[in-house]
Amino acid sequence: MDLFLQQLLNGLTLGSLYALIAVGYTVVYGIVQLINFAHGEVFMIGAFGALATWTVLFKGQTGLWVLPFMVLGAVLVSVLVAVVMERVAYRPLRHAPRLAPLITAIGISVFLQEAVRLWYPGAKSALPFPQIDLVTGAAFQVGGITVRRSALFVIGSLVVCAVVLWFFINRTKMGRGMLAVSQDPDTARLMGINVDRIIMVAFAIGAALAGIAGVAQGLQNSNIDFYMGFLAGLKAFTAAVLGGIGNIYGAVVGGLVLGIVEAMAVQFIPGTFGGSPWKDVWAFALLIIVLVFRPQGIMGARVVDRA
Amino acid sequence: MSTQLRRSPDPKASVDSAAPSMQWWLVLAGTVLLIAGSFLSWSFTPAILGNVTITGLPAPLQIFTIVIGVLGLFLLLLRMGRFHHISTLLDSARGLRALGVTATAYLVLVVLVIALQAPGLANADPGVFVCLVGAGLMVAGSLRMPSDPTVDPISVHLPSWAEILVIVALMALVLFGAAYALGQEDGTVFSLFLLFLSGVVVALQRAGLFGWIGVIAARNRRVITLGAFVVAFLFPLTQDGSDANMSIATQVLIFATTALGLNIVVGLAGLLDLGYIAFLGAGAYVSAMMSHSAFANIGWKPPFLVVVLIAATVSSVLGLIIGSPTLRVSGDYLAIVTLAFGEIFRLTVNNLDGNNGPDLTNGPNGIPGVPELEFGSFKFGDTHEIFGITLGRFANYYFLLLVVAALIITIFTRLNNSRIGRGWIAIREDEKAAEAMGVNVFGLKLFAFAGGAFLAGMAGSIKAHQDVSVTPDQYIFLESAFLLAAIVLGGMGTVAGVLVGATVLKLLPEKLRFVADYRLLTFGLLLVLMMRFRPEGLVPSGRRALEFHEDDERLAAKVEESHIEKVTPTGGRT
Repeated sequence: MDLFLQQLLNGLTLGSLYALIAVGYTVVYGIVQLINFAHGEVFMIGAFGALATWTVLFKGQTGLWVLPFMVLGAVLVSVLVAVVMERVAYRPLRHAPRLAPLITAIGISVFLQEAVRLWYPGAKSALPFPQIDLVTGAAFQVGGITVRRSALFVIGSLVVCAVVLWFFINRTKMGRGMLAVSQDPDTARLMGINVDRIIMVAFAIGAALAGIAGVAQGLQNSNIDFYMGFLAGLKAFTAAVLGGIGNIYGAVVGGLVLGIVEAMAVQFIPGTFGGSPWKDVWAFALLIIVLVFRPQGIMGARVVDRA
Repeated sequence: MSTQLRRSPDPKASVDSAAPSMQWWLVLAGTVLLIAGSFLSWSFTPAILGNVTITGLPAPLQIFTIVIGVLGLFLLLLRMGRFHHISTLLDSARGLRALGVTATAYLVLVVLVIALQAPGLANADPGVFVCLVGAGLMVAGSLRMPSDPTVDPISVHLPSWAEILVIVALMALVLFGAAYALGQEDGTVFSLFLLFLSGVVVALQRAGLFGWIGVIAARNRRVITLGAFVVAFLFPLTQDGSDANMSIATQVLIFATTALGLNIVVGLAGLLDLGYIAFLGAGAYVSAMMSHSAFANIGWKPPFLVVVLIAATVSSVLGLIIGSPTLRVSGDYLAIVTLAFGEIFRLTVNNLDGNNGPDLTNGPNGIPGVPELEFGSFKFGDTHEIFGITLGRFANYYFLLLVVAALIITIFTRLNNSRIGRGWIAIREDEKAAEAMGVNVFGLKLFAFAGGAFLAGMAGSIKAHQDVSVTPDQYIFLESAFLLAAIVLGGMGTVAGVLVGATVLKLLPEKLRFVADYRLLTFGLLLVLMMRFRPEGLVPSGRRALEFHEDDERLAAKVEESHIEKVTPTGGRT
């Protein structure tokens, strides 16, 4: 039983990370029907933004008060990258055939990875992420379960972000504008909503959450590298599809489910096909199975098929 | 492209046929200076730029400027009203402008190289400055030159022997240029050659030559296909047994062959496959596992032709397994599912080492020591002599791959013009409309997917032997992205485009070692810029170009016209 609960906690931690990134995919897809393939890279850049903030401003500090600044740095950098990306690369292609933005996204993805690898000092190999008091350090025991402090930070940030996001979407003018645009961009435009700005906000929201996820990943893993966005992005996309792409709560649920499935697969699949070498295979197999049997995902908001 | 069809209101007024204008003389002076300067010495130091020190005996780099000058003179003569037939076809003013700009950029770079590598500007001889002044005059003169009226190339007809002659000459130029470019060891000279080449190509394109060549190419499709094949076949003979370039050429060919297979899936059927490299990998792994390698874990060792068929079949069965459920979902989902499949493939072959699952693929180390191919007594590992020219190991594989490429190209073109190909295009354009018209959407999609996988498996089975080993890290997502980029760069749905794209993507990094670290960065940027400014690719099919530029009525008219032309080959002759 302890084993199960331990894996459940591990799964929830992993899943929270996926969920934070997955929201970015789903928000953008819900509004412009675009798979922002480069979103994983935004997450990676967020982590590097936090690291840069720490290195430049607070090098050597480990106090908890540094953390908000690091999060702020991460969010600023990733939002900036995402907004520039939207403005420069995606907006001109808004009415192009669907293949064009997808290929652009792959191009951006490779470009961002390489830019970080080449130009961030020392990023050619993995860089250590700063240790912060209270959120990293010795794990503590609850019953028979080992709880890592960073896990609590990851899960906590998902909860906070989800609440803030809910408030933003349902209670602010901008959030309702987003809902309107996702339902019908043309009518929304006629109603006086600035669709371009809404799309930019969607990118920014996704990027902000990805930036926070970047910090969380850094704390959790204690080092970051330029390649970490690829797999995380792919998993998060899987999570978004799993939950029902276009549905924000779906992304959260999908992320948690995917994380738990992965954690359980490591522990409970018997024989040589279990264990951590195969966990990614099971995650992607889950993606394929979901797409085949329930392409609308768990939460089921089927987006109009525009392919 | 658009200006080819631009007609000025009064054709006579804009061509200075009677008295050459001031600008004409200026450009003439420029070209003469450019040619004369090229015969002079450019630098004191023989060590740089392939020795440009000798007066009266131009080095290759100087021959390039002479070529630019001669082309300029030719275009100037056109403006005098000579060669009446051709002058209606070419817009000499735009061509001259591009030539002038190219020459200036080229010479500025040469001066820079002298200043940096010699080092010091003092090492530059007057010759290079004479040329620079000439190039500047060309730009100045051609800047305000009025455009020529040109006619639509589709209505210009030469005797067919002349058209074929043009094609043959072009092919010979391509062969010569490729052999020369590959022979360059010096990165600077190679870059300058590329600049020269692209400048001349742009100039000729500005002048409208390629529009016309495109039309003759369309008219003499068989000749051009045969010619291209002959040129590719002759290429190893120009290398004189050197393995360095043949190894690059073989890699280009494997890459191009795979890209051609992917082109059927993406370019024709419009199914975005981001895991295509997995099918190549499946073929390579099957082939390696059935080879005589010490690490091969399958006991049965059939002859290679059987292995090829098995490898291709395994690939296409994988294609069916992954395709049959997922082809019902829409485009974006398919892209992600194939991406996930590609990752599953890589992780699986990485894991199957005996500790995690059965020992099939030898895990991360892959299967080394895959033996050379043998057809009867012909061993691919040995060198052979033909007409006194030595052909090395890579040349043997090159010829084999050439045959495979020819096979795939044949399949591609036959499919493209068949009922199936039209079905695919219909699906690509509008799936629902196609279904309503009675196209078997699901069947055709599945066929494209499995067929593409079959071709990739075939290429993979040869790749395993040519590379001598297979490892999981050869089949990562980035390779799939590269394949896709080759197609996008070259032009979706055209054979020539894919070949151009594959060559550019594989050849440039090999030759530009000094920018090797920035290779991927440039690649990413290139994809973004291509999609932004020329989404139809370098060598687009007319139909495809139209898809991306729906408002361009002139292009629409042209595509329509060329279709009519194709249907009635004798129609439209004046």
